[in-house]
Amino acid sequence: MEDSLEKRGPLVSMQVRMGILVLLASLVLICISPAGVAAKLRENAGVNLQVLLYTVIAVVISTAVHFLVPEDFAQKHLTKNKLRYLLYATVFGIMTPGPVYAMYPIVFSLKKKGIRNHILVSYITGQTMIGPARISLEVGLLGFNFFMWRVFLSLVMGTLAGFLYYVISRSERDDLQEISTR
Amino acid sequence: MGAGILFASSLSAFVSPDMIKTLGDGVNEVLGIAVATFVGFVLPGPRYVLYPVFVELYQAGVGPAILVAFISGHVLIEPSTFFVETGFLGWRFSVKRLAVSFVVTVFAGLLTIFIYRYVGWKIL
Repeated sequence: MEDSLEKRGPLVSMQVRMGILVLLASLVLICISPAGVAAKLRENAGVNLQVLLYTVIAVVISTAVHFLVPEDFAQKHLTKNKLRYLLYATVFGIMTPGPVYAMYPIVFSLKKKGIRNHILVSYITGQTMIGPARISLEVGLLGFNFFMWRVFLSLVMGTLAGFLYYVISRSERDDLQEISTR
Repeated sequence: MGAGILFASSLSAFVSPDMIKTLGDGVNEVLGIAVATFVGFVLPGPRYVLYPVFVELYQAGVGPAILVAFISGHVLIEPSTFFVETGFLGWRFSVKRLAVSFVVTVFAGLLTIFIYRYVGWKIL
């Protein structure tokens, strides 16, 4: 936990650097095709406003998570190396509304609570695979069967993604063993 | 986040649906899944806007496995999301998640082929 708090400063400065980098990249693209970019911006204006609205909602959720999830809850349940927590995190992710940009404040808040990276990967995978806001679009355009199949896939993929992340993260696995022996 | 939206909209001006449509043209399905996953990763833009494109792809004859790979690849990681994630959680986390996402997305595509072709569940 102390480690994650110490890392907060560099993470915030990295956010600023990445924001500047993305803005510069956008400016380059705008210079290459100002008319094309302007048309796309007009075309996507409604969606972008919707994204901003969902972001506000997600910030509210992340604030709620900060107050509702106690410190010892994260230590007792989500830092233990058990496969079923990957599935729980995936289900929790599926139930989280909002666009992907808005999810990261929630993820960062969970990380500060001490939740391990492989659990976060399952959560992110679940959240991005199925969003409550996209149900109407997906069922309406591609059908109920397709949507149900994607819900099933998201459960499998979220759990599998967290497990694979755990396997390839040797140092993190060492950390977990260290925690479990305390 | 504003920078991410601007970047996604700017880049989508350079990636046309026609470029994506070439995925379905006489390509082996397994290879198509891998390519669709990769294209999904690099394709920027708000996902709400892409759903009509997915329908268009389906009507153009693209199989459900490729569609699943494409949608999953796009929603799991796309360029602006990658940068936002890097800002919050660092390069190592994002790169590892990218690799893991590629594997699970291809797996999802293969599972869809199995369900659609061998189990007979018409998901589309």
